[in-house]
Amino acid sequence: MQRTETFAPPAARPVYLRPAALALATVLAALFLIPVVVGDAFIYHVFITICIFAGLSTAWNIVGGYAGQLSLGHAMFYGIGAYAGMILMNMGVSPWIGMFAGAAVAVVASVVISYPCFRLHGPFFALATIAFLEVFRVLALHFRDVTGGAMGMMIELKLGWEWMVFRERLPALVIAYGMMLVCLGVAWAIREHRLGYYLVATRERESAAKAAGVQTVRVRLLAVSASAALTAMMGTFHAMYLTFIEPAAVFSLTFSIQIAMFALIGGIGTIYGPLLGAVLLVPLTEIARGALGAQALGLHGFVYGVVLLLVVLFMPNGIMGALSRFTREKAAETPSQAGPVVSMPRAETRPPLGAEVMRVEGLQKHFGGLHVTNNVSFTLREGEILGLIGPNGAGKTTVFNMISGFMRPNGGTVSVLDRDGKMHQPVSPGDFAALGVGRTFQIVQPFASMTVEENIMVGAFYRHPHVNDAREVARETAHRMGLAPWLHAEARGLTIGGLKRLEVARVMAMQPRILLLDEVMAGINQTDVRRAIDLMLSIRDTGVSIIAIEHVMQAVMSLSDRVIVLSSGEIIAEGKPQDVVRDPQVIEAYLGKDFVHADH
Amino acid sequence: MNIFLQLVANGLMLGGLFAIISIGLTLIFGIVKVVNFAHGEFLMAGMYLTWIITVGLGLHPYVTVLAVAPFLFVLGAMTQRFLIQPLLLARDDHVQIFATVGLSTALINLALLIFGADIANTPASGLRAPVQIGPVRILEGQVYIFIAAVLLVIGLQLFLSRTQTGRAIRAVAQNRAAAQLMGINVDRIYVLSFGIGAACVGLAASLVAPLYPVSSTIGTYFVLTAFVVVVLGGLGSIVGAFVGAMIIGLIDSMAGFYIGSDLREAVVFGVFLVILILKPSGLFGTRVSLSHIS
Repeated sequence: MQRTETFAPPAARPVYLRPAALALATVLAALFLIPVVVGDAFIYHVFITICIFAGLSTAWNIVGGYAGQLSLGHAMFYGIGAYAGMILMNMGVSPWIGMFAGAAVAVVASVVISYPCFRLHGPFFALATIAFLEVFRVLALHFRDVTGGAMGMMIELKLGWEWMVFRERLPALVIAYGMMLVCLGVAWAIREHRLGYYLVATRERESAAKAAGVQTVRVRLLAVSASAALTAMMGTFHAMYLTFIEPAAVFSLTFSIQIAMFALIGGIGTIYGPLLGAVLLVPLTEIARGALGAQALGLHGFVYGVVLLLVVLFMPNGIMGALSRFTREKAAETPSQAGPVVSMPRAETRPPLGAEVMRVEGLQKHFGGLHVTNNVSFTLREGEILGLIGPNGAGKTTVFNMISGFMRPNGGTVSVLDRDGKMHQPVSPGDFAALGVGRTFQIVQPFASMTVEENIMVGAFYRHPHVNDAREVARETAHRMGLAPWLHAEARGLTIGGLKRLEVARVMAMQPRILLLDEVMAGINQTDVRRAIDLMLSIRDTGVSIIAIEHVMQAVMSLSDRVIVLSSGEIIAEGKPQDVVRDPQVIEAYLGKDFVHADH
Repeated sequence: MNIFLQLVANGLMLGGLFAIISIGLTLIFGIVKVVNFAHGEFLMAGMYLTWIITVGLGLHPYVTVLAVAPFLFVLGAMTQRFLIQPLLLARDDHVQIFATVGLSTALINLALLIFGADIANTPASGLRAPVQIGPVRILEGQVYIFIAAVLLVIGLQLFLSRTQTGRAIRAVAQNRAAAQLMGINVDRIYVLSFGIGAACVGLAASLVAPLYPVSSTIGTYFVLTAFVVVVLGGLGSIVGAFVGAMIIGLIDSMAGFYIGSDLREAVVFGVFLVILILKPSGLFGTRVSLSHIS
């Protein structure tokens, strides 16, 4: 066993962080100090507007960036906050309370709206959010007793901190600035903790995230709720700042697009991108508007549109993306990806097979009239390796999908032994993960924009909720799987062999009790096949049970305690590997009738 | 009873209007697989051009289609060539969405810069005169729009099924890679299709302009309904868009009378959301779930 420590992760991180942290501190300090020092009312106004848009855009980014759900209807949460604050204030309730009332309503609305929309992706999710926004606008116009209808609403002029309305500008800046910091803080906290990793994983590959035990609907609803609450709170303050609101301006598609646009321009999905976008664009347009006034009607919108087009065409990852490419240039030379799988020490004696950990009975699956799985039953014992083989189209992957919760069988049951010693019948991928069933996908499903380390961390989070623990486990797993040299490379850059190993590493980091491996040996070289075999045997020796779909016969023969042969959805043979490969029925299934007697 | 018949007639006429605006949108989506958020602004551009030509040269608005449709063909083809094509391989769909959203924002505000916030009225040339058909009364221009929509649907279906180019377009729409292997120039087909889709909006613009005043935001007003129509009919289906337009026209007309004219839109968008969530493939869409197309 060689432990090659030459693959230490690049130690550049803290150094690379320092200039970025410095830049961030400078921007944040400037946002507050410039208007205070200059003292001009217009400058104050520009900086307050920057803070508001930076806050709104940062909040949007939690959903639009991290979760990848492109909402173009975020103005509805803003509007809910604005109207809640305004209505309550006119009833004599302080906006500091109204703010939270608005946030609560926005959270409820966001959950009710988002839940059915999560099956929609990309443009369709965007369209649905636009439609909801329109419904809100029309309703706000209709119920004029509450909202004042098209005439809009004006606040009763009550000044002071209690009412969030001031004659001088400084207190408004303090509040806007403070709220922006809250938004940034929440966005940072989400991105740097498990929830953020889960959101990005769900965005990149929903099914792989599910297999890693991520409750994808729950994490998305959390993200949407946080985003809606922050947006509504900004809305309340902005209404007080503007002192007048109307449905057309508040529930506005243009406004929603602007919020999203700052995030895109700064760098969608990054923590500080939206801030950067707002800092750069708001002054430009506010000054143009201030200087040219009504003559330049439409000018600022035109500038926004053109900037958006240019960014999309030439800088699709925004300013942050361009900056990070610049800093990462030095780490560009990636080593060859034929890195060794580190061979593992093996126990001298193999522990005996334990109790039954999985029982599959009478599994049926048909698509229309086509039976892809017909009465499949088998059991798996603790510490056993079960090979699942069969010709293409035999239904192996379908069986895998049914014994990991990704597909509901039409008939039959799958029971898994829980730690408490009872058999359970899990249903969803989450249930299976909770019982310790981990799987890989035949068609690899990496979280493409995440690094190798982050990919594995998503698996590790299942047992280790804290980032540092998960990172530790991920590094260790990467090392075992020979992925250590690419820890900080984006997964999309790996070769197919590397991606296969990443699949295994991710599921291993979950520390499963039952491991379902779907053709993990395909596409890796001879040496690595041998190492992978050793790796699997060492995993088995720790008491993990494995079911492996495999075409590499060398692996099947030397790994499996037992082999099941599937053909046209039915089990045609079962037994020791040496016996099964001689079975005439198996030879017929693989090679056709003529070959059955060929070697006799 | 007469009121009901009048509402049905209004609904069908409105349907004709929605249909002629939506056909280009569904055509572009069906082939290029891009949701064009700037579709409404194409319509707006066409309507302004109609207005300029009719007012400037004193021509009948329908004659302007000879200039407006080619103009929009070029606008659409250029959008595909210089904006969408470079982004077709983008790994995230948000880039494509923002591309057309950005185009839409730029066009709306460009119109605002050039034409100001006032509305522009294209001379009606008698097209706003009512016609009595049995118990119902509709506008002459609406009848022509309805007829044009029917002819456009038939024409496009014939073009797509009978001509070599049409067959190539359908091949590309069904499987881009396979079509490429068969020697079809996919990029060219995309540019052509986007152009044809935009030209359909040009036709719509010339027909709609005499009935509706133009403003920079007219596109937003129509395009949201067009999205509803196209999703209801099944994205990419031309016949579906026509049927969807009729349904939405009728719903709009009925809701306006029986529920309240200010809640019309809420009802239409409510229907849209129900369809999007329950049956995203629409009435005539392929069985492929929309969540996998992007």
